[in-house]
Parts: sequence; structure tokens; C-alpha cells
Amino acid sequence: MKKKLTRLIAVLLAVTLLSGLAAGCENLGKAKVKKFDMFIAMPGTELNEGNRAQAEITKITGVEVKETWLTGQSAEEAIGVMVAAKDYPDFIEASDGYQIMVDAGALIPIDKYWDKYPNIKNYLSEEQWNMCRKADGHIYAIPQFGIVNEKDVSPIHNDEAWWIQTRVLKWAGYPQVETLDEYFQLIEDYAAANPKHTDGTNVIPYTILCDDWRYFCLENPPLFLQGSPNDGSVIVDPDTQKVIDYNTTPIAKQYFMKLNEEFKKGMIDPEFFSQSYDEYITKISTGRVLGFVDQFWNWGYTAQDAIKAAGLNDCTYVPLGIVAEAGIEERYHNEPVLDVSGGLSITTSCKDIDGAMKFISDLLTQEVLTLRFWGIKDVDYKVGDDGLFYRTEEMRANAIDANYKADNLCPYAYFPQYEGMNLDGKNAWRPDNQPSEFFEDLLPEVKECLEAYGAETYVEMLNPSVPNSPWFPMWSFSNDLTPETPGGLAWAKMSEIKHEWLPRVVMAEDFEAEWSAYLDKYYGEADIDAFLAEMQAEVDRRIAVAAGN
Amino acid sequence: MLIERVAGFSDNGHPLLMKGSVAAVTDEKENNSFSAEADSADDIAAKNKADAIKRRELAYTYRSNLAPGNATDEDPGEPLSRAEKRRRKAERSAEPKVKLNKKTLWRQKELIIITIPFILYGFLFYYIPLGGWVMAFQKYKPQNGLFGSEWVGLSVFERILNDKSFQLVFRNTLAMGIINLVLSFAFAIGFALLLNEVRLRRPKKFVQTVSYLPHFLSWIIVVGIIRDMLSMDHGIVNEILVNLGIFDGPVNFFSKPSWFWWIVGFSNVWKETGWNSIIYLAAITAINPEMYEAASLDGAGRFGKMWHVTLPGIRPTIFILLLINLGNVLNVGFEVQYLLTNGIVKSVSETIDIWVLYWGIGQGDFSIGTAAGIFKSVIAIILIFLANGAAKAAGEERLF
Repeated sequence: MKKKLTRLIAVLLAVTLLSGLAAGCENLGKAKVKKFDMFIAMPGTELNEGNRAQAEITKITGVEVKETWLTGQSAEEAIGVMVAAKDYPDFIEASDGYQIMVDAGALIPIDKYWDKYPNIKNYLSEEQWNMCRKADGHIYAIPQFGIVNEKDVSPIHNDEAWWIQTRVLKWAGYPQVETLDEYFQLIEDYAAANPKHTDGTNVIPYTILCDDWRYFCLENPPLFLQGSPNDGSVIVDPDTQKVIDYNTTPIAKQYFMKLNEEFKKGMIDPEFFSQSYDEYITKISTGRVLGFVDQFWNWGYTAQDAIKAAGLNDCTYVPLGIVAEAGIEERYHNEPVLDVSGGLSITTSCKDIDGAMKFISDLLTQEVLTLRFWGIKDVDYKVGDDGLFYRTEEMRANAIDANYKADNLCPYAYFPQYEGMNLDGKNAWRPDNQPSEFFEDLLPEVKECLEAYGAETYVEMLNPSVPNSPWFPMWSFSNDLTPETPGGLAWAKMSEIKHEWLPRVVMAEDFEAEWSAYLDKYYGEADIDAFLAEMQAEVDRRIAVAAGN
Repeated sequence: MLIERVAGFSDNGHPLLMKGSVAAVTDEKENNSFSAEADSADDIAAKNKADAIKRRELAYTYRSNLAPGNATDEDPGEPLSRAEKRRRKAERSAEPKVKLNKKTLWRQKELIIITIPFILYGFLFYYIPLGGWVMAFQKYKPQNGLFGSEWVGLSVFERILNDKSFQLVFRNTLAMGIINLVLSFAFAIGFALLLNEVRLRRPKKFVQTVSYLPHFLSWIIVVGIIRDMLSMDHGIVNEILVNLGIFDGPVNFFSKPSWFWWIVGFSNVWKETGWNSIIYLAAITAINPEMYEAASLDGAGRFGKMWHVTLPGIRPTIFILLLINLGNVLNVGFEVQYLLTNGIVKSVSETIDIWVLYWGIGQGDFSIGTAAGIFKSVIAIILIFLANGAAKAAGEERLF
């Protein structure tokens, strides 16, 4: 018995030693690869083990980053738990939890380390970096989006619009649809004439997403209907430079009254207020929904691709710039804006800050940028004789296949990047921005629709963008408000009240009564003036900064 | 099997309950050996009848957490007389007084040594974390830590008690707690009584197993099922009600704030009734079959026996569980409300736990979250003491 035991132990020890040796050898082979982890407080898809583009990037930079994404919770909850445990990943995109992390002292000041890395220091201009500085004068996050090299060439309208299926427009003979009334009239007429979807279910004429922070689909159209650009939390009068609360304007009332009227007619999805984001995406992906308001990034990269993949070619959507009354100029499309409300941060848990900075810097070289957004040469794209990148039919199909993407492409999308044109000045930063690629990929149904409106791209369906005002966008300020200040508290309260009352207003039997009950609650419980005062102060500050004072 | 059942009493992490469950665990040793033997009770009884009687005594003592094993049905043994039972009960409650001195400590040294790991465990995992409670009296900032944060006395408590939204979530929590308590008791006891009347063994076991399976589903799945059942788009509840002509058209159950508490209550019933009834079924098997025979002779029918024999027989179990659950009335859970809610019903669906998550974790105000947690614990302790006192006054079974 004892002998057996000794033998067993001997064998176990031998196995342990051998595997230790093997592991040691492995380490020798890869000794130079630095591994970092990263948390992104946004939903996303993890890359598969052994992703090809990731391996190529590792070859160049000597670094591999393991990205994890938000699942289930809100960004603030996920970040809150990390702060409570004081346990952070090396890199973080904290999104709504950014201010919490700054307050908790969990981030390292980028500007203390950037002298050796001109790629990072010159990534933004001096003024732009100043916009990113926190109260203590330091920069804790590098913005990733809205940094355009040369010019914006995107044919896709990535922002908010009233989306409508091309089959609806085609059925009506491509009419001009400009106002709220015209939009709903068209949808009503179409639904009356074609009540069934191709799969036999009833069409859903119009749905509204109200899930958590994504309820902007319900609450912010009054801002656009008035012809304002997407400042997010308020309207800033371009003449007087005073902030206006868009929630209670006559146009807001008109909009909600219209929704109420349509709800009573059965044109609005009766479950709109209780659907989750996932249910909403699933619903749109079936092609049953004729129209809705949303930001393209919120639904397009999932649902639009799903509709295409299902072969429902006449069920994809085009954007419309709807306004309250004829004669108002819409401003749905704006120039790319620099989002300084957050970005990529390095946390105090990162052991090798210089290594992390070097990696960010390396990611901004053209060689790596091409790998990130185009893929591997001759596998994911080809280079023509004129130096222009192009893709074959198969490469294009691969690029929208979720499995292929997880195995082969590695955009490291929440690391800094240049949009617009590549640094070589020839190609666009991403295939879907390359004009030749875009037109090759366009469905004939969409092409026909765009042409009917004299447009070549989605963007041309809307008014061309005009230069942004110096205070634009105000959401980059209100996103970082916390309940510490009276205005921030009011902002949280407003959102709570609107979240509860706006669906009630839409579904009300007696619209006028419900609307005035909502207003009582709104002005009674939230200190709107405190909120507007803080917004006004920020507008004034930004104007002063832009004027160079 | 027993371990799981005992744990079922206290899967909610309340410190007072933990105390209860530790006691239950220590009881278990004896019980376990008992139930293992009871499975093959027939042979053993044949061999040694005296043993069987001893087991029956144990069964009586621990009937509140007894395994359902049909020991009593198959092996009636010799019933104890009423007087004997009373004597034993008196013996149990009148513990001999032992003086605490060196001699007794030395005499019990083995027992004391054995308890040390458990005391350490309790201290490490239940008492040391309570140190975090000081956050409720500070303006706590994670970067300053527990020792560097500014002390603010009771102002955080003042703030939450005056906060309208906290009053609202407190009301919701209490209301849902009471609804859950009443519904879960009524349904579990009713179900156990009815199931007990099923005379065929196989269908009975089958129903029992099927009915407690939903307990093992996580809430996210249950919520998915509930949403599907109540959906306007061919949900089964709407289909039935519309086809029966009770509703004119499909109704959106989640648009009615006054219905939300009941949806939560009945979701709980759906998920937990089978599980909760196990304990009552076990208690019912411990009732002396002769009582039923006597009742039959006196002319009692099925319902008469349920009312006059079964219910009084499980009364001690009901009271103990009621006491434990009263302390839990504010622990109405988190997942089901969090997952079922939407903008319209938010004012009735938010519970204290969701509020703590939102302000404490989401907005980074740890002080306010801790204060709300303390407030909840204090209410729970007060409730338990009140209920226990009431039970004592009424001469019923009690916790301490």
C-alpha cells in the first residue's frame, strides 16, 4: 500500500516537472509578447483565440490585448463594481462610467507619459487636447472617434434619422416626405394596403425603443423636428446662444400628440415601451418594422446586416430628415465631432505604462491601421495597380460574416484611430467608406431608391452638413454630469420622469390630461432651471475657449 | 439531500438566518444517519425494534426538517403516549444550568476546539465585512479609503429617509414582500395538503418532482417565460382570456402599474411553490397515522382530516417558517423586478436593492448604498424580534 502511494507520488511529481518544462519552453518562444487586458463598457463581440489579424498586429507591436465587453449590466454598474473592488484591467473604455473612474483616481494622466510618443501627442491638436483636460489639468482618456484625417468620406449616415424601408417608398412611387404628418400618413397607407409581411406575420408600422439609456429614440426627436443639430440634451439657439429645453416646446407637444394619435390608430407597436434592446433588434431584423427613429450605430451594424443576410432586399432602410412643419431646415447630418466625454484610458492597475503607451502609438501607424480596418493584404483585400484597395465578392461576404470576423479581423475598435482617409491619402480608412467598395456593395433596391431622390449615398438623402458651432455637441458635457451638482441631479431626475411619463403620454386615452400631468411632474420634481443654468455656463465656456480667451 | 433542503431555508444570506442554518447543520449529523437507515427501515426494524423506537423519537424531535422518506408509513413502530411526549418536550426546553468556569471549559475542551473553525468562519465572513458599515457615516470616496474619508455622522441616513424616491422603493419592497409572503405560504401549504391526499405513490412523486423543478431555473429564464406568457403577440394568457371572452382584446400586462406587484407575486408562486411545499410534505409524513384513523372513526371526511389533523400537525412548522420569512420580507429579490421592469411601471417596480445598485454602484455613492443596506437590516431584525415576541406571547413555536 505504502509502496503504491510512493510510486503514485513519484509519477505525479514527474508529470508536474515535465509540464513545467514544457511551459517553460513555451514561454521562451513567446517571451517577447506582452499581454494586456482591456474592458470596454459597451456591448461587443469577443475575438476568437488565434485571430489572424490580431496575430499579425502582435508580430509588429509585440503586444496582445484581450478585450472583454459589457454584458447585461449598465456601464455605470460595471465600472462601479470595479471601483468598489479597486481591481481594474490595464486598458479601459469606461463610457458612462468615465467620471466615476476619474473621481476614484483609477486612471493615469496620459499627458505625463506622452513625450516619448509623438504619435499620441500629435493625434489631436493642442486645442482639442485642452478640451479633454479634466479640472486638475490632466488628460485621462484619449478620444477614439471623430478624428478625421483629411476629409470625411463616409457614404453612411451613422447618426439619428427617421428610417423607412425602401419598399414603402417604392410602393408610394418615391414621394417627397418631409414632415411628421407626411411620414406617418405614408406608413399608415402602406400598412393598410399591405398588412402582411413576407413571412405571414403582420407588419409593425412603427416601433420605438425605450430600453434604459437608449430611450433617446422616444425622447429626442423634438430636437431634430425643430431643425436643430444633435446637441443631445438641449437646443442651443444659434442666434442668441441661449439654451432651450426641448422637452416642453410646442413642437415636442405636437410630436407626442402625433404619436398618441398613431398609437390609438394601432400604428405603433403596442409593446414598444416594454421591449428590451435585444427584442427590438430581433424585431427589426425580421423586416416587419416599416419605420422608426434611431441612431444608425445603434441598430445598423446588426439589424441591417441581418436583413440583408436573410435576402429581404426590399426591407432595408434609408434615412429621412423629418421636420415638424414644411419650411424648417433639417440638420440630422453633422460633421464628425470629437467626443471628449471619454475615451481610451490606462488604469493604475497597469504594471507597464510605457509598454501600453507604446502600443497605442504603434496602433496609429498606417501599417497597423490598415491591418485593423482592412485586414490582411490579399486575404481580406487586394491592392489595384493604381494603389486603390478593393475586395472580391468573397472577401465582401466574409466581412459581414460574424464567425469570419471573430476568427480573422481585429479592429481594436476602442483604441484611437483615424477616420476619413488613410494617412497615404489614397484609400478610405475602412472598406465601407471607400466609394468604389460602397457602390459595389449597394443593393439594387437601395440604389434605385437613392437615385429616385437624386442621391448617390445614404448621406445625400439628408441635407449636407454645415460647420459645427463651437459649443457643439452639448451631450459631451451632459454625459459626464453626476448627481453631485444640482444641475446633474436635475438631469438624472428629468430622465427618470421622462422615462416613466413619455410612454404614458403616448398611450394615454386623454392626451391633454396626461400631458399636463406630465408637465406638472416635470416642473414639480426636477429643478430644470438648475440644469439649464449649468448647460448655459458650459455653452458660454466653450464659446470663450473657441474665441481663444 | 438533507443538506440541500436545510440550505433551502436560508439561501438569502441574512446573518440571523445564517445563525439558524448553522444550528440546522449541526443537527444534521444525527438526522443524516437517521435518514440513511430509514431507507432500509424494514430490515432494521425486523432486527431490532428498540432501535426503531429510538428513531421515531428522533423523528419527532427533528420533524421540522425531516426527510420525506416514508419511514412512518412503512414502519409505524410504537407510538408515544401524549403524556410521554409532553414530558420529553418539557425536558428539552428546561436545559440544565451550567456554570462557566475553568473546570467546565476544560471538560468540554474537545467540543470547544471543534467549534473554533466555525467561529473563525463566522467572524471572518460575517463580522469583519460589517466594518464597511462605517461608510454609511462618512462621505466615502474610494480614492480616500475608509480611513481618509470625511465623517458626516447621521446625515446620510437623514438624506435617504427624507428622499422621496427611497420612500417609494421602501413602499414597493414592503408591498411586494408581503404579497410574496402571503402568496407563497398559501400556495405552498395548499399544494402540500392537496398533494398529500393523492394516494397513488407514483403520480404523487411525479407531480412533486415536476413542481419543484422551476426552482432550479435562474430568474432570467423565468422572466423570459413570464414575458412570453403575458405577451400581447400570441402570449398564452392573453390567448386564453380573449378566447374565453373575458378580455375584448389582448391586454398589455406591463402597462398597468397596479398589476406589477401581482405579476411578481405570481411569478414567485410559479417558481417556488413546489420547492416550498417540500418542507410541509415532510412535516405531514411525521404526523401519526393513528390520528387519521381516529379521525375516520369519529366520522371525519377527507376535508375534515385535512382541517383537524394535517393542518394542526404542521402548525409548528408553519410558525417557524413564518418567523424566518418575516425577517426576509424586505429581501424580495432583485432580479425579477430588475428584469421585468420598464419605464411606465418603474415607480412600482423599483426595490431597495435596485435603488442601492443605482445610487451606490451606478452613481458611485457608496455611503448612501451602505446606509440603505443598514436600514434594511435593522428593519429585518426589528421584524424578527416583534414576530418572535408575538409567537412567545401566543405560546407558539419560536426561533429563540
